Amino acid sequence: MKFLLFCQLPILLAISAAATETPSPSPQPTGTVEARPSVIPKEPPLPAKEQPAPELKSGSVLRVNSTNQSYDFFRPWSKKAPFNRRGLGAVIDGGEVLVTAELVWDSNYIELEKPATGERTSAKVAVIDYETNLALLKPTSEDFLKDLQPLDTNATVKVGDHLSVVQLEANGAPVSTEALVTSAEVGHYVLDDYSFLLFKMSCPLQYRDNSFTLPIVEDHHLISMLLRYDPRSQTIEAISTPVIQHFLKEAEHEPYLGFPSFGISFSPTRDPQFRRYEKLADSEGGIYVDDVEPNAPAAKADIQPGDVLLSIDGKAIDPDGDYDDALYGRLSITHLITTLSYSGQKVPVTLLRNGERKEVVVSLFNRPPQDYVIDPYIIGRPPRYLILGGLVFEELSRQYLREWGPAWQKEAPQRFVYFDHYQADLFPKPRKIVFLSQILPNNDTIGYPQLNYMAVERVNGQPIYRLEDLAKAIEKPVNGFHKIEFDLDPKVLYLDADKVQTDAAQLQKTYSLPELRRF
Amino acid sequence: MTRSTLFAIAGLIATSAIADTPKFDVHKSIVRITTTAQEPDYRVPWNPGSISTGIGAGFVIDGNRILTNAHVVSNGRFISVQRENDPRQYGGQVQFIGHDCDLAIVKVSDPNFFKTMLPLHLGPLPTIQSGVDVYGYPIGGERLSVTQGIVSRIDFESYSHSGADSHLAVQIDAAINPGNSGGPVLQNGKVVGIAFQGYSGDVAQNVGFMIPTPVIQRFLADIASGHYNRYVDLSISMENLTNAAARRALGLPDDDTGVLVSSVESDACSAGKLQPGDVLLSIDGHRIISDQTVELDGENVDLAEIVERKLKGEKLKIDLLRNHQPLSVEIELEPNNSYLIQANLFDEYPRFVMFGGLVFQPLSKNLLEAFQIDDLRVRYFYNNFVNDEIFKDHPQVIVLSNILPDPVNAYLADFRYQIVDEINGQKIHNLADVANAFDQTSDFYVIKFVGASRPAVLQRTAVEEAKARIKENYGVRVERNLGEETLR
Repeated sequence: MKFLLFCQLPILLAISAAATETPSPSPQPTGTVEARPSVIPKEPPLPAKEQPAPELKSGSVLRVNSTNQSYDFFRPWSKKAPFNRRGLGAVIDGGEVLVTAELVWDSNYIELEKPATGERTSAKVAVIDYETNLALLKPTSEDFLKDLQPLDTNATVKVGDHLSVVQLEANGAPVSTEALVTSAEVGHYVLDDYSFLLFKMSCPLQYRDNSFTLPIVEDHHLISMLLRYDPRSQTIEAISTPVIQHFLKEAEHEPYLGFPSFGISFSPTRDPQFRRYEKLADSEGGIYVDDVEPNAPAAKADIQPGDVLLSIDGKAIDPDGDYDDALYGRLSITHLITTLSYSGQKVPVTLLRNGERKEVVVSLFNRPPQDYVIDPYIIGRPPRYLILGGLVFEELSRQYLREWGPAWQKEAPQRFVYFDHYQADLFPKPRKIVFLSQILPNNDTIGYPQLNYMAVERVNGQPIYRLEDLAKAIEKPVNGFHKIEFDLDPKVLYLDADKVQTDAAQLQKTYSLPELRRF
Repeated sequence: MTRSTLFAIAGLIATSAIADTPKFDVHKSIVRITTTAQEPDYRVPWNPGSISTGIGAGFVIDGNRILTNAHVVSNGRFISVQRENDPRQYGGQVQFIGHDCDLAIVKVSDPNFFKTMLPLHLGPLPTIQSGVDVYGYPIGGERLSVTQGIVSRIDFESYSHSGADSHLAVQIDAAINPGNSGGPVLQNGKVVGIAFQGYSGDVAQNVGFMIPTPVIQRFLADIASGHYNRYVDLSISMENLTNAAARRALGLPDDDTGVLVSSVESDACSAGKLQPGDVLLSIDGHRIISDQTVELDGENVDLAEIVERKLKGEKLKIDLLRNHQPLSVEIELEPNNSYLIQANLFDEYPRFVMFGGLVFQPLSKNLLEAFQIDDLRVRYFYNNFVNDEIFKDHPQVIVLSNILPDPVNAYLADFRYQIVDEINGQKIHNLADVANAFDQTSDFYVIKFVGASRPAVLQRTAVEEAKARIKENYGVRVERNLGEETLR
């Protein structure tokens, strides 16, 4: 009898005495290529000073208190418990307040508070970009920001510059802590797979209320917003100025188009043996295209796996995928594409294909999460689901997988993590993965085991590529039964179509389900 | 009150167990086995492995044979056998070993060894609550130890020696400890089982397991052919037919009979005979109950037990419904191979090919555990090898398991734990393909991995230049083992 699952196994009963041979040294695993900070600060960090910030007295920062409530992807018909996030927002031109998106996403209610007077108003999200983690808030009362002084957003800073991180005392007095910019490099923001230019700073920040995010300024210029603070190493990771500037510029347009993506994964070409095999000239750099995401800008410009990209927008690419940035030195081309270029822009790309030089033009655009087979995030919109006879069907998303917590890549069902990671390879055509997330036991499911995490392949003979397909398929039961086919054992379940319909109201009542479907 | 009643019952059973056991000299049947084993290190596959010694028990059966657990003698390089009240040690050899059922036969070449020994005989499957005596060398003592217990449960259990098999096992409440392995469990002077596994004290108390006689008898019958052929398997998965709608949808009466075939492994013995969607009604004349059990000797047992008792090449008759039509098929049973990817490997040197400092090894449980590989694709291939029939394209899943750093592979670190798809345009199905590809003379060796376009490229001149250096630096005794060199 086969036994194919991991489980806790009983121990064997033979005794093993100590090994009598000294273990031979095993080869050291080789390290992976490490990201290099683009510039190393020339001077050591100065002892930090905390001082009142009189220049901000006139009021350029606000307390932002947000009550947020996220959907529960395990129980897609309900929301989780509400929670509060409190940070500081920066007043900018146009009567708006800049905050990080994470402060206000899935918000039910946002409140702005003037530190000096304690005066409050509610606010709405005007523009939000989950990928760069930025949002603009608009107060509901129009005059609220009138007596405040907006911060300028056109400054540039370099590595080695000294900035001020703004916090508020309990009495509302602004206080600033000095921060030294130690590096600028492309790194992870807040959602997996979305990386942009990141500032790292050294700064001994004190704990104060409303510090979920903090504006980082230089005089009256808004430079950066705090993403993360590590109290042990006293380092800040912050949203960089170019990203903020891109966001504000893009936000002027209606509709908001988002930061462009390119849609490739690439490998370095530094290996001389590989360069000789590919007949790449030593004088040129270039990156090797590993994968091209379907429907993304690169794919639409006919960039193919195996192409070697030599330059983008006239900037030469070195063998590691970096270009020479005017402000920050060697930087990943990710910055050049996503932040220095805009959605709607056309960028020329020079590439080598089978030894031949080729020029293509890539029209850049943002690929919204809904466009992916497995949505990389679902924030600010409810999960879709359909309940049939107690069987709960959802569409697979990374938001769902993230319900397993920070270690979701290890904890979540591995088959789904694999689907997510290799979705471009596994599902080249546009579709969603409809899956059984759980069974709510009831009279119709007696005799079925507690099943979950199985992808639906067909229902009543119809292939299922999204929940709408499922809704349509169950309108046509076969001989009075729904036949639901899965990718895993048990490959098929049957439901009595009439009974499911008769029992629906009772099921809804038993489990207090507000509705049996939401698309 | 309740408490004292409980004690009374316990006392009663203990007394009756002793009374049931006739006096006879078990000392003349039992042996103490000391195994010096060499366990290979899959991280350094060219090394012979670390040496350890273990102690277990065994007992004499007919034909001058010693029966013990496979795990007592696995990876054994030297086996010594001792009798009670005899100072001498005798050299032993493993004659047959079944890793799937954790049983082995040891022979002793000294003709005098068996002269004074009395073979034990196998008894039936004991009944629940009946008393048993367990003999062995718990925690390694020199003298035989005996404990008593009762049969607590009879069910399918995972056999942790292979880690991938489960068979009938009997749970007993006697204290079973390391060193009991291979020792006989007796009832009325007959062997009703072999103690083989238990839980460590922090998981469960008084839960020990023995291999019951149906499994032992099957092993002995299997090796009668002169070779151990392993367990046979239908290699299908089934679904209970206990849901009313499912039964009616399949046109079945409400009689608790029949199970639904979910999948049939395409390279195994049921392929072409059974199909997904078939409703199996009876197996070798036993009615199949809708929860995948059959009635056997008055007990409901997993229907797999019918298959379990058969040998390779034996036939099995299954009555079924296909598209509502009754049908009868006969299946010639064969062992399944694909599940072995998840079974512990013993008695063989790790297979590998080393080329330019790159070490290629077939994916196995041993490999996965040795390197603690958590690469998503490797784990997926491991876990879904059977379900997704990955074996069709990758009968062996060849992993670039290690890179011995050297100038020749300085830029290849990112390829570690990738699965090899092609070398120089040739599809790689097994380790021999890897060896063959590298044996061809070519200026470049272009290694493509599953799901990656960018190949790893090794230039022949660079590999040749590095060859002696890598062998010397890393102490690589041989550069490949394709499995020709085995222990038994």
